[in-house]
Amino acid sequence: MMRRLANILLLLVAVAFCYGLQLSKPHYGDLIGPIPARGKLGDTIVGRGFEARAEKVEFARNLRTDRFGETEILTTGGVWAVVTVKFAARAQSTVVSIASWRGPTGLTYDQTERLSFANDLLPVPIDPGLPRKARLVFELRPDQVSNATLLISEKLLAALDSQAEISLGPIAVGADGMPAGTVDTFDMTQPL
Amino acid sequence: MTAEAFAQENRSGERKWRRRSLWSVILLIPLAIAVEAYDSVKALLADNDLFSRRVAWGQSAHFGGSDWKLTDLRGAFGMANLPPDSVPVLADFQVTIGNPDLQNLWLGCKIVLIDKDGRHWSPTTLVSLKTPDTVQTCVSAIFSGAKTGDTLNLRETFLVPKEATKSIRPAVGVASERPHFLLFQMEKD
Repeated sequence: MMRRLANILLLLVAVAFCYGLQLSKPHYGDLIGPIPARGKLGDTIVGRGFEARAEKVEFARNLRTDRFGETEILTTGGVWAVVTVKFAARAQSTVVSIASWRGPTGLTYDQTERLSFANDLLPVPIDPGLPRKARLVFELRPDQVSNATLLISEKLLAALDSQAEISLGPIAVGADGMPAGTVDTFDMTQPL
Repeated sequence: MTAEAFAQENRSGERKWRRRSLWSVILLIPLAIAVEAYDSVKALLADNDLFSRRVAWGQSAHFGGSDWKLTDLRGAFGMANLPPDSVPVLADFQVTIGNPDLQNLWLGCKIVLIDKDGRHWSPTTLVSLKTPDTVQTCVSAIFSGAKTGDTLNLRETFLVPKEATKSIRPAVGVASERPHFLLFQMEKD
């Protein structure tokens, strides 16, 4: 009788253990996903192939750009975020191509494609010993501005490769619902 | 045969097989690892320039079916609009075509500069210098239709920090020769 009870108990423990294993099993996507290199605004984040330092974040209602010699104003229903980042290659020349903005609720914004003709945007080729600045431009909902995370990687599918995760910290919101310090027009033609 | 003797023989047979199985595990596990890793190791060797073949200054080396010679490596000083403390570097090669099947032999052609710390510079797009029509890049040469015996002049342009200019050496890799690559030495080496 005791032996049978012990067997049943052992079976239950085994079932619970197997269930625990199943629950805690990471997804394949997590196993081969990007490897985060975390830091905050102003930190130099060191990945496998590149280093990144987010220097400042600016917000604007409009962007001014130059397109084939003509000034163009880009408006938005949300807010423009312009992040100035300094990149450096580590052991070999590389290209940093991908950046996205992950808001506090997990909404993730890719870089805007409305500016594809401007200078100093990604993809930015970098060489060892020659750091270079670039601007990352996002078109966001104002409620996704505070406590956001900037994700930067060399390639779109950064499988098993570094992804810089830069937390941008809390940003105060003004009375109009826009982030504090939002300028009316940000001039993209100004040199970095 | 009594039942007891039968049982004894059975036990010893079982023990023997258990021992064989254990020994076979020692053999099978490394074998399984080798079979599993084969494709990855093959890809690693085929995609990377791992082992250098040094070429002395002024010498040419047979590589990817042709004879490669470094003819010049020099800095182009005094250019405007470049990052501070950077120098454009031009690497010139003279290649005498042996096997003209460049589209297979020179696939994935990569010319880089390597310094004493092992840092690699790829050709840059930031600097565009005027070159004569007879000068090509490694990739454009693949489609040039060059025949056996032709001599091609190849040039790649790099952007390198000033501090690295003393120790940089050009290296050439093509898919048909990987994991080996050519590392050209300078006159003073």
